[in-house]
Amino acid sequence: MKKTILILSLISITVSAIAQKVTTTSGVVTFDATTPKDALPKAENKTVIASLEKTTGALAFEAAVNNFAFSNPKIQEHFNGDKWMNSAAFPKFTFVGKIDKLGKVKFNKNGVYDVTVSGNLIVKGISKPVSAKAKVTVKENTVSAVSTFSIKLSDYEITGTPIESGKVATEPMVTVAVSFN
Amino acid sequence: MMTKKWLVIVCAALLLVSYFLPWVVWDGSNVNGYELATGDFFKLSEAKLDLSNPFPNLAFTFYIFWLIPVLSVIIILLTIFNRKTGLLPFITGFSSISLITLYILFTDFGLGNLSFSLVRIAAWLHLFAAILLILLIPATSLLKKLVWILLGPVIVFASFKMIEKYIMAESHQHTSDVKADYMLGSAQLIQEFINNDTAANRKYLDKVLLINGPVSAIDIAADSTSTIRFADSTGSYAIFSLEKSELKEVASMKAGDMVSLKGVCSGSIFSDILGTTSISFKRGILNRNNLK
Repeated sequence: MKKTILILSLISITVSAIAQKVTTTSGVVTFDATTPKDALPKAENKTVIASLEKTTGALAFEAAVNNFAFSNPKIQEHFNGDKWMNSAAFPKFTFVGKIDKLGKVKFNKNGVYDVTVSGNLIVKGISKPVSAKAKVTVKENTVSAVSTFSIKLSDYEITGTPIESGKVATEPMVTVAVSFN
Repeated sequence: MMTKKWLVIVCAALLLVSYFLPWVVWDGSNVNGYELATGDFFKLSEAKLDLSNPFPNLAFTFYIFWLIPVLSVIIILLTIFNRKTGLLPFITGFSSISLITLYILFTDFGLGNLSFSLVRIAAWLHLFAAILLILLIPATSLLKKLVWILLGPVIVFASFKMIEKYIMAESHQHTSDVKADYMLGSAQLIQEFINNDTAANRKYLDKVLLINGPVSAIDIAADSTSTIRFADSTGSYAIFSLEKSELKEVASMKAGDMVSLKGVCSGSIFSDILGTTSISFKRGILNRNNLK
């Protein structure tokens, strides 16, 4: 009898956890490395995969490097090239982290919540800790989150003359916007 | 008269020698005066400055700068044997000044700013010799000489700025104007990536694909862009990021509708979040001329 209760409890917890995990394949990540000298290094990826675990606050996203769309073909080529993101060897950016102080967010109540998200951003196979302010909006059954933070290109061993000369920002801004239905 | 003759010989000799010496420095590497003519200039600019020749088909035109050392030698010989040099000093000086202008502009553009420490002494000597060679031409008005001195930099500067503007304004061809490289069903595409993602990525990456299949999900963003997804029974999927122009028609679609989409394939990733293969497309559009 005890065994049955234990199994049922485990199933119940698992089902509940699954129900609390929401995902999307249409998240947006904007990469902005523009400088006063060059307005071209800016791109958007609108097919970012993201997940949010409402019970733990675990947050993750994955973005295909090659799907960042730049207006200028040359910049797009450089971005994916060996010296920059080397998308052939490292095809995705990954973030794995969580919403700090999750208790502030009421997923069952409409509202806008200012939170801090912290975790590790993996670019070119290099993992670096990231902490950023984020805005979580709960509206009906939809949870959306937006966060903007900067990354240091040298942290991910991305260097080169265009960066040193100020044509590409040394610390580009990254904006992540996800909506979970 | 004799002094002038020797000055011409010295100028031509300086042009000849300095042509083969370093003119500018890019990221620690010297770029010699002759390297535009050999084609190494753009190999270096690509490696050091991430700048390639915008018009590789016209690379052969740079051979013209071999005229500088050739004409310098001819000027030396003609002057030694007291023969008239005619237009040769004009052409040599004009070519040299133009070439230096190009090196300096390219260094400034590639590095974002020009520090004079990046311009080697040989380049200044070449410039000085070229100007002096033109000024030493006998029986010609100063105005005409000044025109020959300034004409090269003006032409090079104007051309450079036009090319710079062209490069900066360059954009991707609209997907509707590009013929699809491949046309296949969504299930077949997903299966190809699942079976062998390396081969499929090699085959389809950056190619324009026309994909037909049943829609599994549609997302419309606040900025009027949208995504359409095709999925298979395992959950693996292909997703198109669609242009704003497609909004009206996308908004009227629903899961299960058959659609034909065209876009640039960005390859696949394996999603650790979803545990499935994700194939993404950028600059997607609805294929209105169905199955074209």
